[in-house]
Amino acid sequence: MTGDAAPGYELEGFAVPDQLDAVHTLLAQAVEEHPSLDPMDVMLFETAIIEIANNVVEYGRPAGEVRWKFTIRVREDEIEAELDDTGQVFTPAQGKAMPGEDAEGGRGLPIAEALLDQIEFRRVDDTNHWHMVRRLGQTPPG
Amino acid sequence: MSFEETDQGTYVVLTPEGKFNLVSAPLFTARVDDLVAADKARLVVDLHAVDFIDSSGLGALIGGLKKARGNDGDLRVAAAGSQVLAVLKLTNLDRILSPYPTVEEARHDW
Repeated sequence: MTGDAAPGYELEGFAVPDQLDAVHTLLAQAVEEHPSLDPMDVMLFETAIIEIANNVVEYGRPAGEVRWKFTIRVREDEIEAELDDTGQVFTPAQGKAMPGEDAEGGRGLPIAEALLDQIEFRRVDDTNHWHMVRRLGQTPPG
Repeated sequence: MSFEETDQGTYVVLTPEGKFNLVSAPLFTARVDDLVAADKARLVVDLHAVDFIDSSGLGALIGGLKKARGNDGDLRVAAAGSQVLAVLKLTNLDRILSPYPTVEEARHDW
C-alpha cells in the first residue's frame, strides 16, 4: 500500500488556514497528471482529505506553529493521502455517527470516514500520522 | 471568499463565491447575524459560484437556517453544484436544507 513506485505529490508547510488552498492545489496537480481519474472520485476524496486537514488546522497546537506534510499518490485502483503533523498528542473520535440535522459542528470526521475506504490514525514519536485511501470506480454515496 | 448580496425587498440573496470553508464560514455567519438582527430573515443562498464546501460551511448554513427560522424567516439554498449537493446528501442535511434548482424557485412564496 505504501512505499511503492507511485509518484508522490508532496506539500510541506504550516498547518494554517491559508494553506488549505495549497492542499486543493496539490490534489489538482495530481489530477492533472492523471486525466483518467473519475471526477466523482476526485471530488469525494478531496472532500474527505480537506476535512482531515481542517481538523489539524483547527485543533493542532501550538496554533499557528504546527507543521504538516501532505503526500498524495495515485495508483491504478486507489488514491491515497498521507498527512503528518507536528501537533500535540491527539486522539481522534473515530467511528462516530453523523450528527443530527440541526448540529452546527461535528461532521468533519464522519464525512471523511464515509468517503474513504481506509482512514487510519497513529502517533509515531512526536508526529501525528493520517493515512487515507479511496478506492477508485465505486458507486458514489447515497 | 467574497459574496455578493442583493436585497430584493421581501428577501435577500447572498451569493458566496469560491470555497465555503473554515476560512470563509465565519464571514458568512457574521453577515447572516447582521441581516437577521435587521429583520431580514428571509434568505436565499445562491451557491452557483461555490465550487467546494466543507463541514464548516455546512455548519454556517445550518446556523443561519436556525437563526432565520427563529426570527420567522428561513434560509434556502439554490443552484448548488455537484460537490455541495453530494455533501448535503451525505450528511442528510438535504432534509432540512432542500436544495432548490434556482433562486426563483427558492423564493417562490416570498
